Amino acid sequence: MIAKLRSLRLTQRQAFAFLAIILALALIALLIYLLWLLSRGGFTSGGGAVVEGLRPIYVIDGPGEGEKPKFDRPMGVAYGKDGRIYVSDTDNNRVCVFNGRGQFLFEFGEFGVAKPLPGGEMSWVEGRMNFPLGIDVDDEGNIYVADFRNDQIQVFDREGIFLRRFPDPMQVVGKGASGQDGTGIAVTDVAVWDGKVYALDSYQVVVFTADGEFYAQFGKPGSGPGDLDRPNGIDVADDGTIYVSDSNHNRVTAFDQTGEVLWTLGEPIGEMAAEVEYVFGLPRGITVMSDGSILVVDAFEHTLSEATAQGDFVRRYGRRGTQPAEFNFPNAVDDNDDRIVVADKENNRVQVLELLK
Amino acid sequence: MGWLPELRQKALVAAAVAFIATLLSVSAAYAFDELTPPAAKGCPDCHGLESGFTSPTVAPTRKGPHGGYSAGTQKCGTCHTVHAAPPDGVLLLPKTTIKDTCFTCHDGTGGNGVYGVLNARGITPAAQHRIEVTNLVPGGDPNGDAKTKTFSAANGYLTCSDCHSPHDAETVSAFAGDRARTSTDTTFPLSPATNRLLKKQPTSSPWSVDQYGSSWCGGCHEGRMYGSAGVVNHPVETETAGFYYDNIVRVTGTDTNTTEMGTLGGNNFGYVMPITRSAQQSGHYPICQQCHEDSRNIGDVSPGQIAPGETFSVTTSDGQNAANNPRFQAFPHESENAYFTVEQNDDLCLNCHIPPG
Repeated sequence: MIAKLRSLRLTQRQAFAFLAIILALALIALLIYLLWLLSRGGFTSGGGAVVEGLRPIYVIDGPGEGEKPKFDRPMGVAYGKDGRIYVSDTDNNRVCVFNGRGQFLFEFGEFGVAKPLPGGEMSWVEGRMNFPLGIDVDDEGNIYVADFRNDQIQVFDREGIFLRRFPDPMQVVGKGASGQDGTGIAVTDVAVWDGKVYALDSYQVVVFTADGEFYAQFGKPGSGPGDLDRPNGIDVADDGTIYVSDSNHNRVTAFDQTGEVLWTLGEPIGEMAAEVEYVFGLPRGITVMSDGSILVVDAFEHTLSEATAQGDFVRRYGRRGTQPAEFNFPNAVDDNDDRIVVADKENNRVQVLELLK
Repeated sequence: MGWLPELRQKALVAAAVAFIATLLSVSAAYAFDELTPPAAKGCPDCHGLESGFTSPTVAPTRKGPHGGYSAGTQKCGTCHTVHAAPPDGVLLLPKTTIKDTCFTCHDGTGGNGVYGVLNARGITPAAQHRIEVTNLVPGGDPNGDAKTKTFSAANGYLTCSDCHSPHDAETVSAFAGDRARTSTDTTFPLSPATNRLLKKQPTSSPWSVDQYGSSWCGGCHEGRMYGSAGVVNHPVETETAGFYYDNIVRVTGTDTNTTEMGTLGGNNFGYVMPITRSAQQSGHYPICQQCHEDSRNIGDVSPGQIAPGETFSVTTSDGQNAANNPRFQAFPHESENAYFTVEQNDDLCLNCHIPPG
């Protein structure tokens, strides 16, 4: 065979033709590979120009493998202490986990109904979810997921193994909450701090121990100071200050550990006139940054808003769009020293960015 | 051929003029900065106000980005995006379809959900106004047959904006229903009343109505109206006769034949017709919604009346109080009962009719 090849003599024209065929085949193979690469989800480099104070680092649009390689309206994000990124992939009823470089590690969760009506199907087993929203991670790496339509919080270890759930979605919580039928809590977001779990209900903050025992609650319907209307973001600062995105009131309220109001930033938007200056269009997710300032996702302004720990507005970051550092109804944010991660809901992606103050 | 040099000279001059004109126009084009909005310009300055508005209006509160736009409003950008809309979308909206755009916010996290609240409790809806999957309207033909109509979604399918105006333009008068969506809806029947952004003239309706009632439903379901040619329907009262959702005959309490004019919302007093008919009922029929609404218990101990133990009312928003009746407030989007009837089979008929003998 080798001897035959050695004896093969090609004219210059034939050699060029042979090379051209090889190159064409290589090009076709490359194109097929690129098409496959682009069609799958997963990590994509988002490096690029600074946009309104944000430097894109990378974008994740899904695990990039399995039956559902792409996100479907991700609404919650959290950084672990080890730099892992946890994503509530809401419409897919699962949590996806990535390493600090944005590479997919594993996922857990599928659809399950935990409190069916008579005649309805009970499909919840440990780990199944029904519209997961907010997510947070404690110092041990345990993952807390707001299982919104099941009116409960689920806790998993750092490998996604179910540990426990609370409150019991069929039981009244404290003095009462907004879970369906008045039991459980209609939980939109969770924050873990100092051995306690701070959860948002439709009109209040409900505090549990990390084991799930009811501890305290504050807030109520209404429009006065400290009243809440469908809050969607909560975080706790190192000094114990609790920050809440009071979404339908278009404001952020800071509470102390007893539930007393420290300050409020923003106010309900009553009218649409151009003359009305407002701070927040629709505040949703919120995070306390390492310097103590807070970062608020504004879903209607399609930006991130920064405020000081004292409640003074600083500036907005990002803008609306589909390019890196642009957002389309973003919903959640978390901070990891020099980086932030944003659940860019309607772009069906998560963005890792550097905030340039 | 002495004229040739002259012609050439003219041609050269013309070419020079054209070149300079091109340069000027190109430089003018480059001089236009499309990223900087013109001073004191708002969306309505170019697009005009929504159809139905003759002058800038001030929005009532609680409508969010829906309606009440003044000249110079900045709220168009909440939903519409000039440069970042999906290529296969419509109206520069953030999602490909109108349904998905609506669900961007109306997912249950800012108020109670529209679609999906039954599935979240393990119940498969028995009836739905199915959006973006069909344009076949039951009873859509005046002769009573189903009829294919042309709506606003792709393929002419029915979508949210065929019944609702996201701009609150040309909408029906407010009515006090029993569907509460936010914490500010704390007085039942609801106060202040809302119009649910229902259009006076839904897509395909041959007529416009001012009130929500039978005439509104009949705009699409023409063949279900009383007196429609070629088909015999249960008689219904029309807006022309002065009967609609907020102005029906209802019993004033339990065990009584006394009636009053009032809203259908808030309790089950409007769903019975006592025997003997009161003077207010005499000669009148029910409106569509007195048989087709959210599924609920009307009471059947005393046919045509509400017994003391059968008083049901709405005390809070959607499904949070298990004792509330109706339990879910999802009409006309989805229902536990077939055909969206408040009760099923004989129970429905017996609310108004007592069998002879």
